[in-house]
Amino acid sequence: MSRPRSDDNSVLLVHAYLDGELDPANALSVAQQMSQEPALAAEAERVKELQRLIHDRLPREAAPPGLRARIESSIGTTRQPRATPSWMHSWRALAASIAVAAVVASGSTWLVVGSQQKPVQVAELLVSDHIRSLMAPEPVDVVSSDRHTVKPWFNGRIPNSPRVVDLAKDDFPLVGGRVDVVGRTPVATLVYRRAKHLVSLTAVPADDAFAIGGPHSINGYNIVRWTENGVTYWAVSDVEAKELETFAQLFRTSRNEL
Amino acid sequence: MSITPLRPRAGANSPDGPPVRLVTPGAQDTAGLDDNALFRTVVMPHIDEAYRLARWLTTNGTDAEDVVQDASLRAFRAIRSYAGGNPRAWLLSIVRNTAYSWLRKNRPATIVSVDDLEAVELEHGKLDERHDETPESSLIAKVDAEQLRAAIAKLPAPFRETLVLRDIEGLDYREIAEATEVPIGTVMSRLARARRRLLETLRHDG
Repeated sequence: MSRPRSDDNSVLLVHAYLDGELDPANALSVAQQMSQEPALAAEAERVKELQRLIHDRLPREAAPPGLRARIESSIGTTRQPRATPSWMHSWRALAASIAVAAVVASGSTWLVVGSQQKPVQVAELLVSDHIRSLMAPEPVDVVSSDRHTVKPWFNGRIPNSPRVVDLAKDDFPLVGGRVDVVGRTPVATLVYRRAKHLVSLTAVPADDAFAIGGPHSINGYNIVRWTENGVTYWAVSDVEAKELETFAQLFRTSRNEL
Repeated sequence: MSITPLRPRAGANSPDGPPVRLVTPGAQDTAGLDDNALFRTVVMPHIDEAYRLARWLTTNGTDAEDVVQDASLRAFRAIRSYAGGNPRAWLLSIVRNTAYSWLRKNRPATIVSVDDLEAVELEHGKLDERHDETPESSLIAKVDAEQLRAAIAKLPAPFRETLVLRDIEGLDYREIAEATEVPIGTVMSRLARARRRLLETLRHDG
């Protein structure tokens, strides 16, 4: 197995592509290769079929009841009665560990930028995240059109869970959510659908530096940005600018918060 | 960043690029937590994953519970050495090592050494050999949960753990590399091989 074989690499890259492990440039080149080489396309189909089968047949079971209690008693951690939930006490560590997980989870975050980001950098990061999500097998980490599912999913993943509104009646059904990372901060991104287009809506803690400027489009992706209640919302999509404005308007005026 | 696909290596100890290490400056603020709080923050949220991995490795629920309990104790004793990386990958690597020690002690016959595995890989041939273009759906659609579970259980442990961590637990390659203590290139090659072997078994069964 010592002689390098490029075909082996192509196969590994097809798997990595399906696993959402490639950056946009590599994903694009693998997609092109697959469209030209039937053997690679067939490989992709087989892997997808296998993943579907595993997903359908093998639900993830929880640890047996009592295991956690046995672990806690074996190490002698005792739960003291608390006035506040336990996660409040360790929220900093929790947030930090989530930041680590989120950094690991999102490929685009391997590009680390300084803490002083200009709006244009934030916009570029978010457009990259959006493009990458379009190339991944799933554009979201939690798939649900139900905001009562999507909002709680963010609890425990990022410090502040975002405002999630239902815009299905306005033809922007909710697709789900994912965690993106801006600089080193994990942020919530909601994904809505408009016909065949997706809109990524990212909530970033507002910062004076973000307050002015910023591009309205990058590489053909339109960007609409507004700030409310200390949170800056960034909508990124390839829908027309006018439609994206409509979306922003609908979201801003919608009051059906959880 | 792009993944540079690394060539699968025959030798287990070949220096396959720099060791995978997650460095996230300032991300982990655990200084103010005592050991118990740290344990609750780092370990307890991942007990389900720990149990499932142990179960796939020991192929038995009761043994998996023992392994997870033992691994949790080890994790607790080592909690100060947790350096602020990915907590899930950190715990799963402990679970995995605990499971293998347990297997060596209780079921030495089931342990496949890495050398044996490399032989298996060689015997199994190159990745780019064969494979027709028949759509898989017709061939494996009827496979039921038991057949699938049995087929996964038949995979050699290094393939099995890689496939389980990716296709059941949804870890990304970096986390798997960290949890199984191998370079990302090895993760990629094991994953592709695991999926192919599994498909092959299922086709014969199905």
